[in-house]
Amino acid sequence: MAFALRSVKVPPNSASLEEARSRVFDFFRIACRSIPAIMDIYNLDDVVTKSQLRSTIASEIRKNSHITNPKVIDLLLFKGMEELNNIVEHAKQRHHIIGQYVLGRQGLVQDLDTKDEGMSDFLKNFYKSNYF
Amino acid sequence: MALRSAVLRYIRVPVQTLTATESKPQPQWSLRASLRLFSSHDVHLTKEEVIDRVLDVVKSFPKVDPSQVTPNVHFQKDLGLDSLDNVEIVMALEEEFKLEIPDKEADKIDACNLAIEYIYNHPMAG
Repeated sequence: MAFALRSVKVPPNSASLEEARSRVFDFFRIACRSIPAIMDIYNLDDVVTKSQLRSTIASEIRKNSHITNPKVIDLLLFKGMEELNNIVEHAKQRHHIIGQYVLGRQGLVQDLDTKDEGMSDFLKNFYKSNYF
Repeated sequence: MALRSAVLRYIRVPVQTLTATESKPQPQWSLRASLRLFSSHDVHLTKEEVIDRVLDVVKSFPKVDPSQVTPNVHFQKDLGLDSLDNVEIVMALEEEFKLEIPDKEADKIDACNLAIEYIYNHPMAG
């Protein structure tokens, strides 16, 4: 069953934006249908609910909603499919899932101690990313 | 197999009452009839239950304002959601009623009343 998802190949060419849009929805449905299996594999029942995971997946898809080139959308779908396959076949571990999909931006950053209160904004931005 | 024998038993009863000289004892027939009634396929959801559960699912969607949800509300026009939210609501309904809605039907479900109609008419809704 774990390798059944791999057999659904995204053919490399979407003819139009509409076809790419329907592929995105198909991918979203496949992902939502594998959510119960994911919760079972990684024992996420007391950490997150199914609807929260659905919303997280939807927001990840929405981050790229501004793209208009169908080929770019195909590539993003391919990467999304690969990520979903990795998760479903237990190639990832629980802390990966929790860190990437359950916690928000504030969850991973450990700077909630008093010693970091006086830290400069420059350093905080620097720790977050290279470009600011 | 059990269904076939149950059906055959049911069909046999009227023939026996015609040929018998004395009347068949009534409780036996009503037991046969009630055996059919107790089959698990006759339990369907009532319309109010479907409406209540569908509205609960829509109201608990994080982007939706619960006070605006009525049984006729359109997801994209009235509640201001986009098409991805529409698909997400349909998936939430699939989870709630333990259904699997095929893609062609799911694309048509745009509003609360369509969802209620589809789920009410679905034989496997639970």
